Amino acid sequence: MDMHAALALGLPLGIGVAAIGSGIGLGLIGQGAMQAIGRQPEATAKIQLAMIIIAALAEALTIYAFVTMFLLQGKI
Amino acid sequence: MIMGLEFLARVRKTSTWLGGVLALMAATYVSPLLGLAFAAGGVWSLVNLQVLEKLVVSVMGPARTTPEGIRGAGFSLMGMLLLLAVGALLLSLLSPMALLLGFLLPLAVIVLKAASQVLLGSRLWTGIVNHRFRAALAAVAIAALTWFALGALTSATASNEPAKSHAAGAAAESGAGAHAAEGEHAAPEGEHAAEGGEHSEGGGHGFTNIVALIAGAGHGTPWAAFLEHYEILVFSMLVAALMLLVAFLAGRNAKMIPSGLQNLVETLVEGLQDFIIGILGPKHGPRFLPFLGTLFLYILAMNLFGLIPFMHSATANLNVTVALALTVFVYVQFIGFKELGPLGWADHMLGSPRDLTGWLLAPLMLPIHMLGELAKPISLSCRLFGNIFGEDMLLVAFASLGIAMLPFQQVPFGVPMQAIFYPLVLLGGFLQAMVFTVLSTIYILLMLPHEHHDEHGHGEAAHHAH
Repeated sequence: MDMHAALALGLPLGIGVAAIGSGIGLGLIGQGAMQAIGRQPEATAKIQLAMIIIAALAEALTIYAFVTMFLLQGKI
Repeated sequence: MIMGLEFLARVRKTSTWLGGVLALMAATYVSPLLGLAFAAGGVWSLVNLQVLEKLVVSVMGPARTTPEGIRGAGFSLMGMLLLLAVGALLLSLLSPMALLLGFLLPLAVIVLKAASQVLLGSRLWTGIVNHRFRAALAAVAIAALTWFALGALTSATASNEPAKSHAAGAAAESGAGAHAAEGEHAAPEGEHAAEGGEHSEGGGHGFTNIVALIAGAGHGTPWAAFLEHYEILVFSMLVAALMLLVAFLAGRNAKMIPSGLQNLVETLVEGLQDFIIGILGPKHGPRFLPFLGTLFLYILAMNLFGLIPFMHSATANLNVTVALALTVFVYVQFIGFKELGPLGWADHMLGSPRDLTGWLLAPLMLPIHMLGELAKPISLSCRLFGNIFGEDMLLVAFASLGIAMLPFQQVPFGVPMQAIFYPLVLLGGFLQAMVFTVLSTIYILLMLPHEHHDEHGHGEAAHHAH
């Protein structure tokens, strides 16, 4: 397997693997936030704010993989 | 007479829209100068029609004997002469063929509109339309005819003018470079030129934007090279200028009871104020509101700017987001120095050691804190860039899909497949602007002295006492 084939195979795969992790993380965050809102609806705004921040952090991991793909895309 | 004038007004409206769209398409796919010539021809023809209408009204209308009527006729005649001079100038400057086409457009619209009016009133048409199955059959027949006519037309133009298509490709992807040719696995040149969607996007790397078009028009000149290179800068400056304009207009004559634009801007600013004070507390919030609020509005405007046809999101470029994130980084460190003092800042970096365990862990905490501070701008910029760029790419991919769905690939339009993603992109642009702002706010909050929570409670108590 030469470098080009390895890159062409690995880059999308890398995004997929990163997305699995991010997806699990986002799911957990959403679950926790929804439960918290369900228990304490009056704190919805605060919970949502924290949820969005943590979701952004979790989602950033996939974005890093995505950016890496675009950085290396020219080498395929 | 009134009926005729109303008909002319409708013709004017239709021709303006049709001419504008056709001129933009010509500018994108053929060459910018040709589009300009087409638009100029159309405008000339429309103005000509308008002046003619004025002349006829002033000569034939009820006011023809009054001095105003005579003056109006004189003005119209002068206008005609002036228009002829402008026409001669245009003919010498621009392509006569495109000018002629533009000139003929309103006339074609008149003929088609008149023909359709005659057809709609005829017995044959009512006979077809009043019967359900016959109407369906007629609709299918018309659709099939259009399909084949378009296919025949486009394949004819594609085989006749490869050079033209090549020029179009060059104009459409001047920013994209040679990558597009590789990305479109062995697509013929003609197909390449057709690589556009509802708002005429170029080759593999994003929608065509107005700056790339202008740069393509003056290919080879120094200013075109400048525009090509600093395209993103032009867009970010454009957004900044627009925001300045809005702020100026909203604050020009501020009233106690606002209305219109001032109302909108005040709502935005108050919402931001509540939001940021909610995080930073009433003592520190108002101090950082200008910086953070500007950050939010600027990023939001840049994110959403790419959805306007022929515009481009400046945040879909890593340089812009890195600049924004570095600004935040420097500002946060500056605040740390100013609020905590150099010693306090060093204490913060060491993890605020208070006891023996803290001091023992300090050598470990220092690199961790350093890395954390350095990771902040990287994650901020990459997140914003990745999201906005990804959304742009999503739209481009689905626009290309919409074009590929049509069997004839030479037409410069397609099924607007990307439309389903507009809500997502709007939401994403807003969310990313908010995330950037919230994270910047949190970074500032972390740098502020830690007894801030007591002040928060104190401030709230004071607030309640009012």
